Amino acid sequence: MSTLSRKCVPFTPFDRTLDKTTIAIVTAGGVHLKDQEPFNISDELGDLTYREIPPDVDSSQLMVTHHHYDHTDADQDINVVFPLDVLRDLSEEGFIGGVAKKHIGYMGYTMQLKAMYEGTAPEIANQIDRGSRADAVVLTGG
Amino acid sequence: MRGIPTVLITVSPEVSAQMRPPRALYPKGFKIGNSLGRPLMRELQRAVLRDALRLLTENTRPGEVVTIEYPDYGEQYDPPKVKQ
Repeated sequence: MSTLSRKCVPFTPFDRTLDKTTIAIVTAGGVHLKDQEPFNISDELGDLTYREIPPDVDSSQLMVTHHHYDHTDADQDINVVFPLDVLRDLSEEGFIGGVAKKHIGYMGYTMQLKAMYEGTAPEIANQIDRGSRADAVVLTGG
Repeated sequence: MRGIPTVLITVSPEVSAQMRPPRALYPKGFKIGNSLGRPLMRELQRAVLRDALRLLTENTRPGEVVTIEYPDYGEQYDPPKVKQ
């Protein structure tokens, strides 16, 4: 695979208007559906997997599994780290063109940086590129 | 793959800047776990997300983290520092 210099900014130009743009969310905040397998917080090396989150899910069906930040507020309102309801609001008001068909949650803590950089990250990018119909992505952490 | 434009919302601007994100927003004083604001403050959350998305259309400098203040957030928190 090609690698980028540490000094290189992987900048992709944006050539649309927001009201014609479909947005996906990718969060490192450990967000997943309650009926999906939780992230493995017992492994000191972290968890390299990710979860696909559909666009029409009731946000009460989302939860956080992450032991490296205080997610008490996200437990009350997932939108503080994963703004899916907020994104739907912006779509309804016409600020953006639409909500993508697929969103991604992963646990942004790992001691396996090379595997995250060379494995998980490109896999997530492919999921977004091929399956979400997103024109742009909002990234959030915890 | 042609690449997909991204914008990051970060509450750890120093840490995130090390990764040189193409576009990034730091909502000033928000604590970790509050990237979009506090729970149930939907209007604030909408404002943060709108501002982040606007960075896609603005002539930002790649690698720079843009700081915006949101007085409605209330109590402010110091972001984590990069260990020297």
